[in-house]
Amino acid sequence: MPSNYPGFEHSPNREALSAAKVKALESLLIEKGVITSNTVDTILGHFETKMGPFNGAKLVARAWVDPAFKERLLADCNAACQEMDFPDGMSGAEGEHMRIAENTPEVHNVIVCTLCSCYPWPTLGLPPYWFKDPTFRARITREPRTVLSEFGVALDDSVEIRIWDTSAQIRWWVLPMRPAGTDDMSESELAELLTPEAMMGVAKVKV
Amino acid sequence: MKLQHTLGGLEGLDPINFETEVFVEPWEQRIFGIHTAMMALSNHLSTSLPDYEIDQVPTEFKSFWTWGHLRMGAEGMHPFEYFRLRYYEKWLGGISGFFVEEGYISQTELDERTALFLENEPGNLPSVDAEETAIDTQVVKYLTEGDSPLRPLPAPPKFSVGDRVKVKNVPSGEHTRLPGHIRGRVAEVVKIYDGAFTYFFPTTDGLGTPMPVYSLAFKPEDIWEESLIDSKSVYYNDIFEVYIEAL
Repeated sequence: MPSNYPGFEHSPNREALSAAKVKALESLLIEKGVITSNTVDTILGHFETKMGPFNGAKLVARAWVDPAFKERLLADCNAACQEMDFPDGMSGAEGEHMRIAENTPEVHNVIVCTLCSCYPWPTLGLPPYWFKDPTFRARITREPRTVLSEFGVALDDSVEIRIWDTSAQIRWWVLPMRPAGTDDMSESELAELLTPEAMMGVAKVKV
Repeated sequence: MKLQHTLGGLEGLDPINFETEVFVEPWEQRIFGIHTAMMALSNHLSTSLPDYEIDQVPTEFKSFWTWGHLRMGAEGMHPFEYFRLRYYEKWLGGISGFFVEEGYISQTELDERTALFLENEPGNLPSVDAEETAIDTQVVKYLTEGDSPLRPLPAPPKFSVGDRVKVKNVPSGEHTRLPGHIRGRVAEVVKIYDGAFTYFFPTTDGLGTPMPVYSLAFKPEDIWEESLIDSKSVYYNDIFEVYIEAL
């Protein structure tokens, strides 16, 4: 049977059409009483102010300065979050069951979700575009060293790369190595060095 | 199994597009918010572990909506269409289609309203009335308390750490959590997560009722045929028990 597939072309109006369609959908849902006119903004605000990579950064910085805390974080990420001065919700949506994998001189970890985009929202916020892009999801599983070099992470051939694919309901993220030359930095200064990419395994922490 | 079920290991692709923004167009934020609201207002939350009084929330949303429902839409697409569209374009198509199919809105009113906004940007959203704020209270409660799939173990796990197991190759049906690139492959159980995990609804390939989840470690030479193998790498997959069998 011939395919009805129309091809890879896009409307020249591509973004304007989507913007109008999503606005139409949202306004109809508000009128019908499904959501309110504040619902979407309330959700977006939650990830700007309460749940985001700033939480993960604080956890990593604490782990760098407190080896006992690091062990607790590695053993039970959700419990370790309770020790911090975080807003309520660290075990909330998409953070119910989090795990962290530790980078060492011998082992480098990277996360992926080949089937969709599973991600630990409370510690890292919402996933960046590249993480959701099929090209990353396809390639990192098979040629991780090449992909990491494209991200600017050059790993020696002796370093073992561990790829964590989230096909079930655990949300993995990465504890990066503390960079050299940071001995004099405070915990809060260390937290400033962290990026989502460093906590996903595709960037090294730079001073 | 469709191409979107077996992304892992595709060859001949481009360099990674290292775009670090979450939303590459402003409109994408709105569909993310709508989907998250649907999860927060889903009727199944009456049976979830947190104490949600979802029946008391004054929303007209009465449907069952989880990640699995969203994913089913993307997995149901023509594979080429899946790759033609950006991530949130797939969400917009799936979610607006859902609201039409379920009768919350009609295709005609969606099309007419879309045309109106296309001609008359920016246009205003309708304003909220006081009673509806209870909807947003529930949404915040959901974001804060989540919807853990963890349940008591119905039976001891069938496999132990150190076991070599084989991944089944079950028909993927309309929704699966079994990636194509590990089907039929052999791996070692390296971790058994505590408890059992529900999928909230039954899939045709066996998910749904609470079951153990394992971390499997795959050697690259046990997955990939020849080229691009990085022998100093280990691929870990979190996998539901129903997808694996003894060697």
